[in-house]
Amino acid sequence: MKIKESKSGAVIMLDLNGRLDASNSGVLEKKLTDLLGAGEKYFILDFDRLDYISSAGLRVLLMAAKKANGAGGKVALSSLKEHVREVFDIAGFTAIFPICSTSEEAAGLF
Amino acid sequence: MALERMAGTLDEETRIELKNSLSELERLSLALEEFGDRRCLPLKTVMDVNLALDEIFTNIVSYGFPDSDDHLIKINLLIEGKELNITVEDDGMPFNPLEIPEPDLNVPLEERKTGGLGIYFVRKMVDELRYERRQGKNVLFLKKKII
Repeated sequence: MKIKESKSGAVIMLDLNGRLDASNSGVLEKKLTDLLGAGEKYFILDFDRLDYISSAGLRVLLMAAKKANGAGGKVALSSLKEHVREVFDIAGFTAIFPICSTSEEAAGLF
Repeated sequence: MALERMAGTLDEETRIELKNSLSELERLSLALEEFGDRRCLPLKTVMDVNLALDEIFTNIVSYGFPDSDDHLIKINLLIEGKELNITVEDDGMPFNPLEIPEPDLNVPLEERKTGGLGIYFVRKMVDELRYERRQGKNVLFLKKKII
């Protein structure tokens, strides 16, 4: 999985590319923990190029959402592929994350 | 010619052997993709099976071995009619995933926990799940309808 980071105003955009599973979820966890530690609290995670996610990936997203919300911020997700979306549905995660069809739409939430 | 070859391989078992390292997840997904292509399985079936096997494998590697030795996790795939029958075998500590309680999904974000989510995915992705402890090994049977 590759992570591309950009920033627009106060919002951090992370573009995830590839597969997010237990072999690499630690990389995303460190990235998000570092950003949260540096005071960032508004995030868009763009899943347009994310092909796969397992519970290890969801664990990291939940951690980030809890910390960002606790700091008065937000984690929004965009462009979920069908199978990724289904994993979110099964886990009941669609109810706890704002999920937008495009990253532009997600940017409108902040 | 091609048809003959296909007919000859239809009832063959496919075996995937993985070392007890999370870096093997990539090899697992590539092997399943190749298996799916070769047997013309629907992408959805392959993706569901990939998620189930990923979660099982990750659990075994993360919690199954108290030592730091090398172990092999053996996965067998067999297509029987419109069913895909899978076994996962490991020589780790006894672990029956069917005993893991289902997570509570209807709680607010602050109270959500991710423990048990992986095994919950396994249950959701397959049509049957059975566990046996056999000759010092964990053997998990999964059945997935091919639709």
